[in-house]
Formats: sequence, structure tokens, C-alpha cells
Amino acid sequence: MSVLQENDSLPLLEVRHLSKFFGKQLGCHDISFAVSPAEVIGVVGESGSGKSTLLDCIAGRLKSSNGAVLFNSSVGMLDLCRCDEALVRKIIRTQTGYVTQNASQGLKMHISAGGNIGEKLMANGMRNYRQIRKEALAWLAKVEIDPGRIDDLPSTFSGGMQQRLQIAANLVNAPKIMLMDEPTSGLDVSVQARLIDVLRKLVSGLNLSMILVTHDLAVARLLCHRLYVMKQGKIVESGLSDQILDDPRQPYTQLLVSSVLKP
Amino acid sequence: MTPHWILSLDGIGKDFVFHHQQGTRIVVFEQFSHQFYPGSATILTGPSGAGKSTLLRMIYATYRTESGSIRVRHRDDLVDIAAARPAMIYALRKHTIGYVSQFLRVVPRVSALDTVIEPLLARNMDPEQARKKGKALLERLNIPSNMWHLSATTFSGGEQQRINLARGFIAPFPILLLDEPTASLDLKNRRTVIDLIKEALADNTCVIGVFHDPADHREFAGHTIDLADMIHQEMKQPCPEKD
Repeated sequence: MSVLQENDSLPLLEVRHLSKFFGKQLGCHDISFAVSPAEVIGVVGESGSGKSTLLDCIAGRLKSSNGAVLFNSSVGMLDLCRCDEALVRKIIRTQTGYVTQNASQGLKMHISAGGNIGEKLMANGMRNYRQIRKEALAWLAKVEIDPGRIDDLPSTFSGGMQQRLQIAANLVNAPKIMLMDEPTSGLDVSVQARLIDVLRKLVSGLNLSMILVTHDLAVARLLCHRLYVMKQGKIVESGLSDQILDDPRQPYTQLLVSSVLKP
Repeated sequence: MTPHWILSLDGIGKDFVFHHQQGTRIVVFEQFSHQFYPGSATILTGPSGAGKSTLLRMIYATYRTESGSIRVRHRDDLVDIAAARPAMIYALRKHTIGYVSQFLRVVPRVSALDTVIEPLLARNMDPEQARKKGKALLERLNIPSNMWHLSATTFSGGEQQRINLARGFIAPFPILLLDEPTASLDLKNRRTVIDLIKEALADNTCVIGVFHDPADHREFAGHTIDLADMIHQEMKQPCPEKD
């Protein structure tokens, strides 16, 4: 696995007592955890357990009802739920990435693959066209997309390629943390394997932290250092990935682990 | 002067509660203590279910330890594995405790060679040097060179076990946990593994292992812990679940 800091350094991101209600409906409740630099955290649980709501609150896509999301930015620890909105937007744009399950939501389908990557670079101030194109070509190669497809529309790509393009477009600005919502669901098993392989290489090479929301425990084991198990909006159990999957303690975790084929 | 221990279990306890099987509670260890020393081999014996693999997994922190402490010498510190924070467990697994499980967990699309050298790359060894070391070890374990660049997904049980062993022996660890490392090997490869273990012992590694074959037990001059006495039969009866 990746090189992790061995001393007790400051976390990159810390969620404190985060809650989200939709009217009377509970999204997630009293969630607290911390992510270290280069650490990959998995959030697992069945559909409707509040995993995606939690991720969207961290990503600033939903406004949390209570609690704090502290981010260790270049200007110190900032509460993304409380500080100046323009600053939050800037931090989210430059230091975080967000990959959705449905690549067509994370990509602009009417502009080329290269354009999807270039757009992110331009948003961060890069103006030199040749340099942008060079970067885009390099990133396509890194996520194993034929650089010859740079001028093609993402709509002509397969699901797995679209997902890899979405990841490249998110990584091009060298974020510190990637937030991923079910990036491998809806893909064929062999395509999933390729995506996981690409992610593993990227994570260990870039010193990147990741929060991965998934219901696939096999994917969680392969990619994550630690897991949080969610049920009805709350965390019911957490630990190292092998502890959760091989020595589950809570009734819900035991049920979850025993209901799948060999995670 | 007697050598000082490298790993000390003090009053450890472990039970499993199966919430979906009438709350059955199985106590595997209760107040178990033992010390392990560098350069010594300890063979865990006892019937199936006695807790041999459980003990290895508790030392590796795959199983959580409910009571007692598991103290290990990690570099110049003493660390209690039962209470260590995740970052410390990652560091222990990278530098101090190696573990060869019964079965290889194959990562799709990663070549056998890359699987084997991962622990070296995690320690920032030069990739070219790591590959050289990996190839030599695969050769020693009789994995034909035309298979090195294939994913181990399609390998036979015995081949996967040898990839697993190569991965376990490629980087030196002060403590090496072995869970039936010779179970699916033929005589020739079994010999190689026994030699690898002996070399590790000569290197002052503390080896703790479960071996299927009594012939393997005789190979090591180390001491044996019989876990048969540790199980508490009366506790194996279903008892009401506690909060």
C-alpha cells in the first residue's frame, strides 16, 4: 500500500458531529472521523444508509444541518461549513476532486475528452494551449485511455473509459483528496478490475487521500485502509479494512459481511 | 545474558459473538500470556478451532483484541498492538510484522512479480533492484519465468501459495507469522520453504507458525505451544448475548 505518515500528524480532513436532515427525514447523524494524508477511507453500507449524503456534505454539495468539516488547507485548518463561501469554493475546486457513479454527471458530454481535462486546468489559471494539450495527453495515458481519442466526445466512450476520464479530469489539478461515490458500480467486473488497478496506482503514486463510498466490500478491501460501516444514517462500526471484513463485531456488520460472496 | 523478547502477550482475551446465530459466544483466549524471542521458531499446535490462526491474526491486528496487551518492539519503541492507532498498525505491517496467510488474495491485473515486490516498493526500494530480487526468489520457488508477468488470478493453488510465500519472504521482517505455509506444496517446494524459514531464523527473525504437517514441526528446534489447553469447552455452548 501507499506510503503513509507514521507519526501522528494532523489529519488532512476531519468531520466532527456532522448531521444532515431533509426536513424530518434523517440523512446522516453525528458522524465524526478523520482522514490522514495518503489514507484511503471507505464508507460502506446498503443503499439509503446515508453514505452519499455524508459525501455530499463533505464535498460542499449539500449544506450540513450541524457539525463541522475541517480541512487542513494551505492557510490552516478551515471549517468548510462555516468559513467564507468564496474561499470554500476555491478550496473545493483546487484541493478536492469529486467522482460520481454516473460519469455523464461528472463530465461535460458535449465537449471533447481533452476539453474536459483542459477546462479544469483553465479554471485554475493555465492559459497556454499547447501546454494544456500536453497535460491532457499525459493524463489520458495515465488512466489508460488511448491518447488518440483526445478529440473525441466522451459520449463515444465506454462506461469504463468515461469513468477513467472523469478521474483524470479530477486529478489534473493535483487535489489532496478525492471523494468518490460508487465509482465502480454499473461497470462490468473486468472493467471494474481495470479501474481499481488504475486507482491503486494513482493513490500510491500521488500521495492522495480518498474517501470512497461503496457497497462493494471486495472493492473496499482492495482499495481502503480503513472502513466505516453506516446504517440508517449512523456509523455503527469502524476499523482497519481487514478488521471490519474478517472480524466484524456489530450485528449489522456481521449481516453485511455474511451476505456477500467472499469479499 | 538471555535475549530479550520481541513480542509479549500479556493476559490476552478474545471471543467471538455471532449475533445472527442465537448470539453464540465462543471464547478462544482468556488470560493468555506468552513471550516470543528473536531468532526463535514457535510452532502453534492444537486441534482445528483451537485458535492457532486466531492468535496469528490478533498479532497482525486483523482480529481485534478485547483484553490484555500485545506488546511488540517496533524500531526503538514498545508498541501495544491491541491499542495501537491505525497509522501505527500500517507502520508495523510495513516494517516489523510479516504475515503469510493460507491463501493469496489476488489483485486482478497485477502481475505475479509486482505482487511479490510490493513490500519492497512500500519501503521505497529502487524498483529495478526490487524486481531483480523478486525474480531471484520466484526462480527459487520454481515459478517459471514466462508466468512472472501474468496476474496470479489464473494460477493453480500451489502456484498462488508460492507467490504468497515469495511476497512474505521478499522483505526481511523482525517477526514473521506463517499460517500453514506448506499446505499445498509438493516435496521439492516444501524443502525450499523450510530453507527460507531457516534462513530467516539465522537472520534473527522471530517466526511464529501453524504447520499442517508434523514432519515440518521436527524441522525447527524452536518450542511448541499447544493451544489445545487454551480452549474453554464449556464456553463453546451458546450463552446469552451481553450488551
